[in-house]
Order: sequence, then structure tokens, then C-alpha cells
Amino acid sequence: MIPAQLAGFLESGVSVLVATRDARLSPDALRAMGVRVERGGAELTVFLPAATSREALANLRDNGRIAVCFSRAADHRSVQVKGRAVEVGEAGADERERVERYLDALADAWGVIGIPARATLRLAHWPCHAVRVRVEGVFVQTPGPDAGAPLVDVAGRAP
Amino acid sequence: MIRLEELGPCFPGIVPAQIATCGRDGEPNVTYLSQVQYVDPRRVALSCQFFNKTRRNVEENPLASVLLYHPLTFEAYRLRLRFEHAETEGPLFDTMALRIQVIASHTGMTGVFALRSADVYEVLSVERVEGLLLPADPALEEAAPPLPAGPLTEIRGLQVVSDRIARAPDLPALLAGALEALDALFGFSHAMVLVPAGGAELVAIASHGYGEAALGARARIGAGIIGCVAQRRRMLRVAGVGAELRYGRAVRERLEAAGGGTLPPEVPLPGLPDAQAQLALPLLVRDRLVGVLAFESRDPLCFDDWDEAFLGIVGNQIAMGMDRLRPAGEGTGPFPAPRLAPAPERRRVFCYYRNDDCVFVDGEYLIRNVPGRILWKLLGQHRREGRTEFTNRELRLDPALGLPAVKDNLESRLILLRRRLQEKCPEVRLVPVRRGRFALELDCAVSLLEKECG
Repeated sequence: MIPAQLAGFLESGVSVLVATRDARLSPDALRAMGVRVERGGAELTVFLPAATSREALANLRDNGRIAVCFSRAADHRSVQVKGRAVEVGEAGADERERVERYLDALADAWGVIGIPARATLRLAHWPCHAVRVRVEGVFVQTPGPDAGAPLVDVAGRAP
Repeated sequence: MIRLEELGPCFPGIVPAQIATCGRDGEPNVTYLSQVQYVDPRRVALSCQFFNKTRRNVEENPLASVLLYHPLTFEAYRLRLRFEHAETEGPLFDTMALRIQVIASHTGMTGVFALRSADVYEVLSVERVEGLLLPADPALEEAAPPLPAGPLTEIRGLQVVSDRIARAPDLPALLAGALEALDALFGFSHAMVLVPAGGAELVAIASHGYGEAALGARARIGAGIIGCVAQRRRMLRVAGVGAELRYGRAVRERLEAAGGGTLPPEVPLPGLPDAQAQLALPLLVRDRLVGVLAFESRDPLCFDDWDEAFLGIVGNQIAMGMDRLRPAGEGTGPFPAPRLAPAPERRRVFCYYRNDDCVFVDGEYLIRNVPGRILWKLLGQHRREGRTEFTNRELRLDPALGLPAVKDNLESRLILLRRRLQEKCPEVRLVPVRRGRFALELDCAVSLLEKECG
């Protein structure tokens, strides 16, 4: 379950990395183009660019296991959401604006650390697949001694 | 398959790499990596600072997938890896640990944030991530950077730098000439040379690009890139200093939040406050550190493998030049002189009897009082610091020798000492080099004993 105060962070211009794995437990990483927090934090929809997500989609159709890491460039504040894909489909035209806004926000955030917007805006971002994920766990991922701890264990401290 | 060597610019992590792993229970995990180190054409090493989920996963299931990014083109490369083993010592570990030590020392986390292991992975495949980037927009793209200068230009430039070093009449001219030429011919715009200043400090005795302010700048051994290079005696290059510091600060905040106690304050960077790339190398003569040569740039991509190799050559030349022109005579000098090279054929044993204030050589009386104390001081400094040249002035200023303040007759005492050595121990000589200075020449090994007689 994603706490309400975390939803805004996940939907902002943070890096969104996705891991899936195949039937032989061979993992794969790719960059997602933002998420939408749904059902009061019980679910996420993750947008995966069609251009780079062929393997991830095959993995998700095989077993549904997914990890999504959110990380803010300026200070490495990071969380990771673990879950299962419950639905995989093409993102609708009405979701294109959300994906484009996300990329703009990412370009702003990366601009702060010196990555020029012209580079960020070249990332392939549309069309996308929309992957609906049932959230099973949320973990602190900011580098440090408690990276990997469940969010509830470090309650009271921002992740 | 793309060769690993072709990914050279991706390794410094200017755009951070990412790793996906999977536990035995089938749960995938993905996170950023702080360091990916090229090991050989078939292997890379990843840094492990904390025993985290990634590490636990690869111990259960060795397969991993890493995305590396080219810092200029933003192309991504997917490395399929298999965890091989973890190293906790040796050259690979030292190289990776040094980089973390630099960041830890800057962010007040020395000893708290350190490399736990260098985790070595076999590279199963390397492929470019197709479709990651849209075609470049010519209106937004800048012109391609110029190609690096050809080998002929580099060799000729190196020749000029080498000439300046070889022909310099003194140490300031050597260092200024070399640093100027490195800027004019190769664009190394910010450079300094620091030497051991006694204790745990280094002091800058030459700089280029910083104005006068950098001269006399100090670096603590073991702190920051310069101090770490001096301590470990290894070349180090840090690209994306800003990114490394952000990472270090993130760890620091987590440590403090986790009740890690009060950490010491962050140490300001020496030199450019907004440096994005640093390269420092030890100046070594045999196993002796004569200084550190340090470069900085605001361009995070400024230094690469070529610079390491090239500046390594220049550094060796500077070190040998500094050794040749070491300040002699005046005080202890900013760095110690070498020990005498010739292979000694015999050993002479000098013994100083404290309560009788006299020196014996191989059991035979040599000299006493002030000339004896002078000889003892010279032999002692030679043994401890490798000094071979001394001044009359420093003898006069040494209260332990007990010379009278006026009419000290130092010259005649030295003449006495010289003659006595000539008679009884011709392998040890005091040779005047110029006015007020003399050299200690040894044609034998020397043992020094200090005793009470009785």
C-alpha cells in the first residue's frame, strides 16, 4: 500500500526504473515513463515505452513479477515498489499528455544535475504500454545503511 | 557483440548505471549503481558499500542485467552479467575503495562509508538498447566535439613538456614551466603540485589557473582526492564530482537518520569550488612520495584513460626532475632527498658515547665535543631523512650542538672533523659544494649506535 504522502513523490519528475524477470529468473531493467497511483495506493499504472519494453512485456505476461524504483536525481531519495502486473495493455491516447508532462518534469529534474533537456527529451516515450500493478510492498531505496528496508520499518523518517 | 572496451566513456558513471537482479523466490529488484569498473575484456566489478538486496539476490541467483549510459550520446548498453566472486583486498579493491574514500572524506564519513567488497561479474553479453532515443533534432544538437588530437601532436606536445622539465634550472621553474606547457598544449587549465609538508599535510608549492591563492593551500593526507592519492600512492580520477558528492550526501543523511551519531562536517573541496572532474597522481621516486600532481576541470568528461596514461608519463618526469632539483641545505626542505645510491662495499659502525660526548668508529676513538656532535647530527639526518647536503647556517642555529653565539669557529671545527675522517674513516667525507654548504659523501654502509660508556 502506497501512503498518500508518497503518491505525489512517485508521480513527480523522478526516475522510474522497472525490473522484470523471465521464467529462468534472468532479470531485465528498463526505464518507465512515469506512473499513476490508483485505488488509494493499492495499485500503480506504470507506462513502459513500446520501443524498449518488448522483453519486459514478455516477462510480465509470463509471471507478472515487477519491481519499480523511484529516485530523485538531486538527492537520491529513492523508494522501490514490488508487486504483480494484473493487466497489460496499450496506453490510451488520453494518457499521452500524462507521459509527456512526466518527461518534461524529468527533464527539469535532470537539468538541476547538469543533464541538458535536449538529451532527456530524446528518450523514446510514446507510444507506451500501460501496466497495472498490484502493490505488494514498498521499500526504502535511498543509498545508505537502511536501503532495502520496508517503508513501515523506517516510519517517521522520510525515505 | 560490442566489446566491453568500446564502452570506456560509460564507466565513470556520469549518467548513473542501473542494475536489475532477481532473488531465488522470483522477486526482481532494480536500483542505481554507484560504480561500474572495467576489469578485463570479460569482466566488470560493481561496488558494494552496504550488504543490500542486490548483493543478497546475486548470491542466490547470479544473473544480473546492467544498463550503462554513454555520457555524451545518452545511448544505453545492456550488460548481461553473472556474479563470480567478491574481492575484499588487492589492486581492484584498492582502486574502487579509493574512489569511495575520496567521497567519504569530503562528506565527513571517513571510516563510516567505505567499500565492503568489489563484486566481480562475468559479462555474458553486451548490446546496445535499441529504440531508447528518438532521432536527434539538428536544431537542438550542438556540433560534434572535435576529434582528439592525433598521436603525432601528442608526442610533440609531450616532447615540449619534457624539454621544459629537463632544462629547468630550479624547482619553481620546473613546476611552473611544466604546468604552463600542459595548459597551453593540452588544455589542462587547472593544476597544482603539492609536496609533503611534514606531519599529515601536503602543501601546494606550484599552481596554474588558480591565481596566487592556491599557493600554500594545504591538504590533509587521507582526505579528499589529493590526500587519498598521497596516502594510497595511486592515481585517481573522479568524473562527475557533483554526482559522487550527491551520492555521498544521500548516504550521510541516511546514516544520520538511522542514528549513526554525529558525523564530522563536510570538508570543502580544494581548488575549484565547482569542479566536476578531478585527476590526481602521486609523484614517486622509487617508493618515495615527493608530491602529488592534481588537475581539475569544470567539464565532467575532461579526463579519460588517455589522460591517465599521458599524465602518468608527465608525472614521472616531474618526479624525477623534482628529485634532481631537490632543495638542499636549507632546513629539511619541503621533501626529503634520496638516500645515496652507490652499493656500499663495507660497513662502518659509529658509536656516540653520550656521557663522554665522543664518537668512536669501529671501536676506535674518532672525535669529541662540538665536531663530534656535528658528525652525529649529519649521520643521523642522513639516515632518517636521506639528506646529503647541509648548510653551515643550520648548524649554527641548532642549539643541541652547543656552538657559542659569537666566534663559534665553526669553519675550523669542520676542518678538524674533515681531517679526522680522512685519517680514520676515509669512506665518509664532508665536501664543500659552495660557500656555506657542504655535502656528506658515503662510500660505505653506516651503522649508528648510541651508548653510555662504562
